[in-house]
Amino acid sequence: MNILARYGFLLIIAAFFIFFSLYNPAFLTIGNQLNMVEGSAVLLVLALSMTLVVAMGGIDLSVGIAFDMGAAFAVVALKEYDSSWQMACLVGVLGGAGVGVLNAVLIVGLKVSPFMATLGTFFIGSSVQRVFTNGGGPISHRRMPQEYRDLAVGDVFGIPTEIIIAAVVLIAYFIFLERSILGKRIHAIGLQRSAANVAGIPVRKYMFVAFVIASATCAIGGLIGSANIRMFTPLAGFSYLLDAIAAVFIGASIHPKGRPNVIGTLIGVLFLGMIGNGLNLMGLNFNLKDALSGLILVGALALAVGQKRLR
Amino acid sequence: MAVALLQMHDIIKSFPGVLALNKAALSVQPGEIHGLVGENGAGKSTIIKVLAGVYKADGGTVTIDGEALQDVTPRSVHEAGIRFIHQELHLVQHFTVTESVFMGQELSGIGGLSRRDMKAKAESFFKDALGTELSGDLLIRDLGIAERKLVQIARALIDGAAKLVVFDEPTAPLSSGETEKLFAAITNLKARGIAMIYVSHYLAEITDICDRVTVLRNGKTVSVFEEVLPDSTDAMITAMVGREIEALFPDVSHCASADLLQVQNLHHQAFSNVSFDVQAGEIVGIAGLIGSGREEVVDVLYGLKKASEGAVKFNGKSQAFNAPKDAVAAGMVLVPRDRRHDGLVLDMSVSDNVNLASLDDISTGLIERRKMGLAKAGAVAEQLDIRPRDPSAKARNLSGGNQQKVVLGRWLTRGAKLFILDEPTVGVDVGAKVEIYALVEKLAADGAGVLVSSSDPGELVGLCDRILVMLRGEIITEISTDGLGVDHLVALTTGGQAA
Repeated sequence: MNILARYGFLLIIAAFFIFFSLYNPAFLTIGNQLNMVEGSAVLLVLALSMTLVVAMGGIDLSVGIAFDMGAAFAVVALKEYDSSWQMACLVGVLGGAGVGVLNAVLIVGLKVSPFMATLGTFFIGSSVQRVFTNGGGPISHRRMPQEYRDLAVGDVFGIPTEIIIAAVVLIAYFIFLERSILGKRIHAIGLQRSAANVAGIPVRKYMFVAFVIASATCAIGGLIGSANIRMFTPLAGFSYLLDAIAAVFIGASIHPKGRPNVIGTLIGVLFLGMIGNGLNLMGLNFNLKDALSGLILVGALALAVGQKRLR
Repeated sequence: MAVALLQMHDIIKSFPGVLALNKAALSVQPGEIHGLVGENGAGKSTIIKVLAGVYKADGGTVTIDGEALQDVTPRSVHEAGIRFIHQELHLVQHFTVTESVFMGQELSGIGGLSRRDMKAKAESFFKDALGTELSGDLLIRDLGIAERKLVQIARALIDGAAKLVVFDEPTAPLSSGETEKLFAAITNLKARGIAMIYVSHYLAEITDICDRVTVLRNGKTVSVFEEVLPDSTDAMITAMVGREIEALFPDVSHCASADLLQVQNLHHQAFSNVSFDVQAGEIVGIAGLIGSGREEVVDVLYGLKKASEGAVKFNGKSQAFNAPKDAVAAGMVLVPRDRRHDGLVLDMSVSDNVNLASLDDISTGLIERRKMGLAKAGAVAEQLDIRPRDPSAKARNLSGGNQQKVVLGRWLTRGAKLFILDEPTVGVDVGAKVEIYALVEKLAADGAGVLVSSSDPGELVGLCDRILVMLRGEIITEISTDGLGVDHLVALTTGGQAA
């Protein structure tokens, strides 16, 4: 019973995987699998950022805004200032980090709750984008440098660049959150902030920096997104918010101690990608995907709670 | 004597490792105010919780109006007319007085709630039963603490079925003026024939309003005072304290040297004009009841709260710590009073908790070396006899004494010049207590300063070189523990005797 509870969610994933494979042989082809993984790369980057914030005891509703800012700053730098692709990437990441600074000032400086502060940032950021683009029109840049374009469509030794970027972020986050003493302190803050404070951990400094890092990470997603469609589309990042939250909580539910964690988030992201891909291949209404992942998410959380009761 | 209203007989209640009540008895007559006193850990709150049906007793009988209560549950006790005024208020800030009084027991008529009836009933209850005027339309957040207490009382008694009201430390958060108000209400209730149990640390209050007093010690009823006179406090203190504690403490006298901590004219909302010093190699105690400002002094020193005025000199330098991290960096560490909330990250392992303040020592660059951490925590567990020995055990699953050793172990691995210990042995069993006391003595012998804030007078007298006594926000005196009797210290902290 205990084993079933612990691995229940992994069993659900396996069951879906087998089901999709049997239903449509195309699902198992290497081409499709790679497609699935590549399609999850950007979400993974945002979900990792969310993992950091949730592990620290917060929530970030403004991941989409940081994504948008990354795309906007980079595209504008390329188009209006003719900057190199490296400079555009740097500017984009800094633009995203700016969103994190605003969050951090509100949360750490003014002591607004993370939920309300990032909701505020979300509204402010959305409005700024609409004003800047005269109501939400995209900023297109067809002749962007090939190197920048390659962030989304290129490959290194046959592996899509998107996947490589996401993998690098994944490894960096794994070392940072799960293996470094910085990560240990962040987990301590998330689990019991007052105890971390009394133990002499500079809680406010850590929270400030973590919110900035999280938003800067989301901006990397924005770079890939804008390179893919060769434009900045206002408010495009919003679509990732709920998937990112779902992935983090799926990941936490399969962790033995129920904590948000990097590997769990990876599994959560791949699961959501698989559901989308599999339903697509079944020729079912793609819009069913959200209903299904919603059902499964609630089911997984119920499992995780039941698991805690068992112990 | 008439049939007792309440009789609790031979009540036994044990928790893992602790016998909290050992055949305790409590008997209350109709219409009397019955005092219940005892030191921390004597079993006062346990016996009240048994009566409330919160804890199930392992043995003993509860008789109400001569009838044995078979099943003591919150509901059966309520139906028998017993009401509890808990220390915490549990009121909703944004509700009106009327809404608060009737929360969960609203009156309704045709067409929904009878707001006007409820307001009138609440206001007349305040006037007739509690002897005070209070508008039903005021919001809770706009009331003083004494008035909130009255609202809490009204809420418990408004249905008119109460026969016995239990007050748990009702005056702890009140100033003396506010206490008067509460006493007026209590006297009013008594005149209406309602019996009361009054639990308090303030012995002066007990002798003021109680008709009879039960004294608990180590889970037993050691004495019942049938008559309470102003000079009964001495006898009560002797009964509360007993005479068995001295053997717990190692006998070491310290040669203190060099000013380690100097506090001058420190002010804060909760205390004023606090000045004292701690020498290296010395153990200094702070005594005082809850609400005496003792807790806030510790918090201000450690940077958890800000002083409004005053100067702190630590280790030769003027310091005002803005956050605990500054205190820790300077060599001042705290073992907090609420160890489950502030001391430990409960869901982390013993190892993580021990190493939390010195992670730099178990890392290469920024990468944590887990085995090194486990080995270090294992050595601490060995040294302090933490059980289980396994440093990967979750801190939540340890007993109180072992949890406290983990917090102490954290600062031992790091090393410090001044150890502030706030309630170091609350919820700690006797065996671990002795070990913790020996450890504290050793810290001082090795040249560290120790500041112990405690509500256990026996602990302070046994452990410290001298004691600062706080009463209602001020240090009223500083005494050496040479030849100091525990009863004398209790008398000082309870305001039962002038400094």
